[in-house]
Amino acid sequence: MLERVKRKWYYSVIVSLLVLLIVIPFDWFPGHYTTIMVLIGINTMVTVGLCLLLGYTGQVSLGHAAFYGIGAYFSAVLSKTYHLNPWLAMLIAAIATGAFAYVIGYPIFRLKGNYLAVATLALGVIVYILFGKLAPGGPDGIAGIPNLSIGGFAFDTWFKRYFLVWGFCLVILLISQNIVNSRSGRALRAIHGSEAAAESIGINVDRFKVKIFVLSCVYASLAGSLLAHSMAHISPSSFDPMVSVIVVVMAVMGGLASIWGAVFGAGIVVMLKHELLLGFGELEIIIYGLILMLVMIFMPEGLFVWLKSSYVKLKELYIRWRLGQIRRGAET
Amino acid sequence: MSESILETRGLSKAFGGLIAVDKVDMAVETGKITAIIGPNGAGKTTLFNLITGVYPASSGDIFFQGKPLKKEHAHTRATLGIARTFQNVLLFGNMTVLENIMTGQHPRSRYGFLESAFRLPKAHREEETISLNAMKYLNLVGLGMHAEQNALSLPLGQQKLLAIARALATEPKLVLLDEPGAGLNILEKRELSDLIHRIRDMGISVILVEHDMPLVMGIAEWVIVLDTGKKIAEGTAAQIQKDPKVIAAYLGEDED
Repeated sequence: MLERVKRKWYYSVIVSLLVLLIVIPFDWFPGHYTTIMVLIGINTMVTVGLCLLLGYTGQVSLGHAAFYGIGAYFSAVLSKTYHLNPWLAMLIAAIATGAFAYVIGYPIFRLKGNYLAVATLALGVIVYILFGKLAPGGPDGIAGIPNLSIGGFAFDTWFKRYFLVWGFCLVILLISQNIVNSRSGRALRAIHGSEAAAESIGINVDRFKVKIFVLSCVYASLAGSLLAHSMAHISPSSFDPMVSVIVVVMAVMGGLASIWGAVFGAGIVVMLKHELLLGFGELEIIIYGLILMLVMIFMPEGLFVWLKSSYVKLKELYIRWRLGQIRRGAET
Repeated sequence: MSESILETRGLSKAFGGLIAVDKVDMAVETGKITAIIGPNGAGKTTLFNLITGVYPASSGDIFFQGKPLKKEHAHTRATLGIARTFQNVLLFGNMTVLENIMTGQHPRSRYGFLESAFRLPKAHREEETISLNAMKYLNLVGLGMHAEQNALSLPLGQQKLLAIARALATEPKLVLLDEPGAGLNILEKRELSDLIHRIRDMGISVILVEHDMPLVMGIAEWVIVLDTGKKIAEGTAAQIQKDPKVIAAYLGEDED
C-alpha cells in the first residue's frame, strides 16, 4: 500500500517536472526566468552529486565548490586561451577533476565525521585562494568564454542553453537514480548504515567512498563547465567556500536521501538568491543559515520528503473527517 | 578427524598493556558447530574481530582452509567465505529487510557503477539473481512477510534473524555468530537453534559466541573455553561441563 503511494508520487513528480521544464522557457514567462532556470539546472547537478555523497553514503563534503570551480576554470582556460573545442575542454575538465578527486580521495576519506567536514572545508578554501592567486585573470576571473555548439548550432541564447543544461541535468538525475537502486547504491547506503557491517559482507568501504566522491566531483565539474560556457565569464567569487555551504543547503532542503529532491532544493535556493533576496546583500547568508536550521528542526528529511508525507497525512485527516461527518449524519 | 576450516596459531592481540587474546591455538572443524564460551572479558569478541579482520593481530597466524589470512582486508575475508553477525546487530537502518539481505549478496555479484548507471543487461541479469537469492535467505529465516518493512522496525528477535540472513547471503563457508541468543525469549531461542542446525546442514561451518549455556550445550558439537584471553579447555559439551578448570573460571577459584 505504502509502496504504491510512493510509486505514484514518484511518477507524478517526474511528469510534472517534465511539463514544467517544457513550459517555463516560453514567451509567457518574463525573460530572465529562463536564465534562472539554467542556473537551477546547473546547481541541481552539483546538488545531486552531494546527495549521493552525503545523503546516501553519509560522507560530508563542505568543499564541493572547489570541484565546481576546477571544472569551470579548466573549461574556460582550455577553450579561451588554448582555443580548444569547448566540448573537448569540458571533457578534459571532467577527467582532470575526477583524477584530482581520486588522488585526494584516499587520504581524505581516512577521516570521519567532523574531521572530514573540516578537511573538505579547508580544501575548498585552498582551491578558492588558488583561483584568485594562480589562475589566469586573478580575482577578476576570465571573460569571453566561447559558447558550446553542435555543428553550426551554437548555444548562444538562454533559451537554447536552457535545453542544453536541463538535458545534462536529466541524464545525471536518471543515472543517479539508477545507481541508488543498484548493487553499488546498496553498498553506498550500507556504508551509511554501518561501516563495520558493510566490511563484514565484503564491501570495500574505502574504495566505494572514493568512487562516489569522484563521481560527485565529476558532476560538479560538468556543472562548472556548463556555467562557464553559459555565463561566458567566471571569477573566483563564484566558487568561494560559501558556495559549498549553499550547495549543502540545497541538498538538505530537497532531502538528503532523495535524488529528485535535489531539483526542489536547488530551485528554491536559486529563486531565493536571485529573486527574493536581491536587496539583502550580505544578509543573504543569514537567511540561508536560518533556512538550514528550520529545515533540520522541522523537516529533517527535507522539504521534498516532507511534502510527500504531509500529503499522505492530509489525506488521512480528510478521510477521518469525512468518516466523522458520515457517522454524525447517521446519528441524527 | 576431518580437516579444519579455520586454524589459529599463537594468535594474540594486545590493546596497549591489556592482552585481550593471548596465544590462542585452535582448530575449527569443517561442517561442525563450534561454540566459544567464557566469562565476560574473556576475549571472545576480540577473537571474532581478529578472524574477520576488524583489526590486525599483534602476533600469531590465522589460516582459513589452509591459507594464511593475516594480510587480507576484512572485506576480502568476506569474499573468501567468512561471514559474521555482530553483538549489537548493526543492520542497515536506511534499508528495507529485503534490501539488507540483497546487500549481503555483494561479494557474489560483480556489476558496478557503469552497468547500474545505464541499466545495462548485465545489471538486469545479476539483479534478478540477487533478488531471487535474497528471497531464499529471507524465507530461510522466516521473515518473508516483512520483506518491504524497514529493517529497524522489526523486534529484536527478528532483527537478529535478519542479521544472520544477511551474513548467509554472502554465501559463506564459515559463519561467525556473536551472541545470537542474547535478548531472545525461549521460543525465539528454540527457533534459533533450529536455524543454526539448518545452516550447518547447508554445509556451512558455524562458530558461535554465546552466554546462554543450555543453548550452547544443546547445539555445539565442540566447545572452546576462553578465560582472560587464554584457551583453558576444549572438548564436547559433556566433557566441558565436567572440566574443573572451566568450573573454576565461571565460579571463581578456591582461595586456599
